[in-house]
Amino acid sequence: MPLVDIQNLSRSYGRVQALRNVTLSLEPGTIGLVGNNGAGKSTLLKVLLGLLAPDGGGGTILGCDIRHATSTLRGRVGYMPEAAAIVPVLKGVEFVTLAGDLYGMPHRDARRRAHEVLNYVGLGELRYRRLEEYSTGNVQRLKLAAALVHDPQLLLLDEPTNGLDPEGRLAMLQLIDDLISETGKSVILCTHLLPDVERLCQQIVVLHKGTVIRSGTMESLRAAVSNRYELTWQGASEGFLGGLRAAGVDVSVNSHPNKAVVVVPSDWSTTRFFALARAGDCVLTELKPDVEDLERLFFRVTEQESSRESAQHDGASRDSGEVAAGETAAAIEEASSGN
Amino acid sequence: MGIDIAHYHGWHGRLHSPWWACLAIVRVALLQVFRRKLYWVVIGLGLLQFLFFWSVIYFLTQVDVPNNMRRDMHRMIGFSPDTPDGEENGYIKFMQQQSVVVMILLAFSGSLIVGSDFRLNSLPFYLSRRVDRRHYIVGKLLAVSAVVSILTTIPALLLFFEFGMFTSSIDYWVEHWDIAVSVLAYGLALCVVLSILLVTVSAYLQRVAPIAITWASMFVMLRGLSSFLQAYNQDDRWHLLDLWFDIRQLGKLCFGRFQSEREFHLALWALLILSTVCCVALVALVYRVRAVEIVE
Repeated sequence: MPLVDIQNLSRSYGRVQALRNVTLSLEPGTIGLVGNNGAGKSTLLKVLLGLLAPDGGGGTILGCDIRHATSTLRGRVGYMPEAAAIVPVLKGVEFVTLAGDLYGMPHRDARRRAHEVLNYVGLGELRYRRLEEYSTGNVQRLKLAAALVHDPQLLLLDEPTNGLDPEGRLAMLQLIDDLISETGKSVILCTHLLPDVERLCQQIVVLHKGTVIRSGTMESLRAAVSNRYELTWQGASEGFLGGLRAAGVDVSVNSHPNKAVVVVPSDWSTTRFFALARAGDCVLTELKPDVEDLERLFFRVTEQESSRESAQHDGASRDSGEVAAGETAAAIEEASSGN
Repeated sequence: MGIDIAHYHGWHGRLHSPWWACLAIVRVALLQVFRRKLYWVVIGLGLLQFLFFWSVIYFLTQVDVPNNMRRDMHRMIGFSPDTPDGEENGYIKFMQQQSVVVMILLAFSGSLIVGSDFRLNSLPFYLSRRVDRRHYIVGKLLAVSAVVSILTTIPALLLFFEFGMFTSSIDYWVEHWDIAVSVLAYGLALCVVLSILLVTVSAYLQRVAPIAITWASMFVMLRGLSSFLQAYNQDDRWHLLDLWFDIRQLGKLCFGRFQSEREFHLALWALLILSTVCCVALVALVYRVRAVEIVE
């Protein structure tokens, strides 16, 4: 059974379309939901959790219908919201107990479990402090504890490292990493911090302007770019780079004068690099496949999507311009024939 | 930063119905109110009044005091001198006087119980669990009702219990059971009206100052306005504009004591007005309580 299976999910806020026909099928595991600010990540999480009703489409999470079985669904899912979302005056342990009570746990169990999860997330010593005294990092841990209190099958984490200093961020990532490896829970991590996703997630969903533009494992997304290489050489660059360009290779020279990232044509053989280097009077010292990190992958796919959109937009404008010109010409013709 | 990670343990239990969560919401709201020292001052004022009534009833029933003094004490707490048996009016008077303290307490606690959930984005915390907005609203209404009851209905019932205990004991309670029912009915009416109004006002205004100002306007400014219009037009129906007056009429309706037919009709109108106001407020509240703020 897939973890998430949704079809044609749409949601708009007034005139703004936050999600457009999102169709996804995700297997259990750790999933990163990435996208720019306003891409629709948080909206998707809220729709999945039943906090927002979709305008169209539907689907299931853990086999529960997101439109109708929201209560059952939330009993199996733990949600860590992006906002601070604390209840003032309460102490840490009371806050997590309240979360357990709100899930419907028996009060005694909720209380006992609150102590356990607070210990687990490293807030054991701070549990009797009032929430107003918690640092940002500790509030994030507290929210994670509140999401874990009823032992959910799936965790939805919305920007869990938001507002943390580098040390706090690493500690939070380590905590989530340990949680995943120790419990095997599925996690959907929603963030715009790509290194966080790269560190934790096996599957990735890239959202762009409310649409899913890529989804799959990191390996499968990288496979599409196996024609990239990183080259390092010694000697004169001009001849070598000129030869590469002449052979149809797309060359990007970085800040180092003797290094470049190249994208080769589909029928390329790597031995040609050596031949071109010899011809250009230099020595190729390093040749390795350029493994794209998530950040570059993200920028590539979003740029591709933006270019595609602008090309479509231009095409549509041109077509409408031609139609308008045609209509004008026809009108003139008609008028002149009438005369 | 070192991380203190204990091993993770699962939990295998059965989840209750989300309606049980309303009790948790009430418990937490009461914790929030009673942990603020400032509120204890107001609660103390309410307690003083209760102790005053308690003492007067004690003196009337247990201490041999001169008749003229007894009459004065009867008048003070509202019991009729001719029938010193804990007549209904005494309880109405007590509950209405307590309501003043309740209003002050509510004006300050609305921000804490409800406003903070909106101001600090805590609403998704509640609504992302198994509760939905029905449970949240019922929980908050019950929480405010609990605060109202602690200062009005419960002390009034204690006075009823005291009067019976110090006079003819079980006979008094058996013969005047309708007083206890009236106290409960008036207490319920107070809870419903005040909780709906306070939760709605707090959900929209969120901070202490605007809530207190609006609350005061609703119960003090409208009173002034209605008194002015009544004096100007020489028509006591203008009093119906005053929500405080309407609540008092509701009390009379619960205790069933009217001086005239006209007073009874006025109380029915008051009931209609309060019902309408509460319905409108409830609709506004349901609209307001959404899991996510809609941002255009």
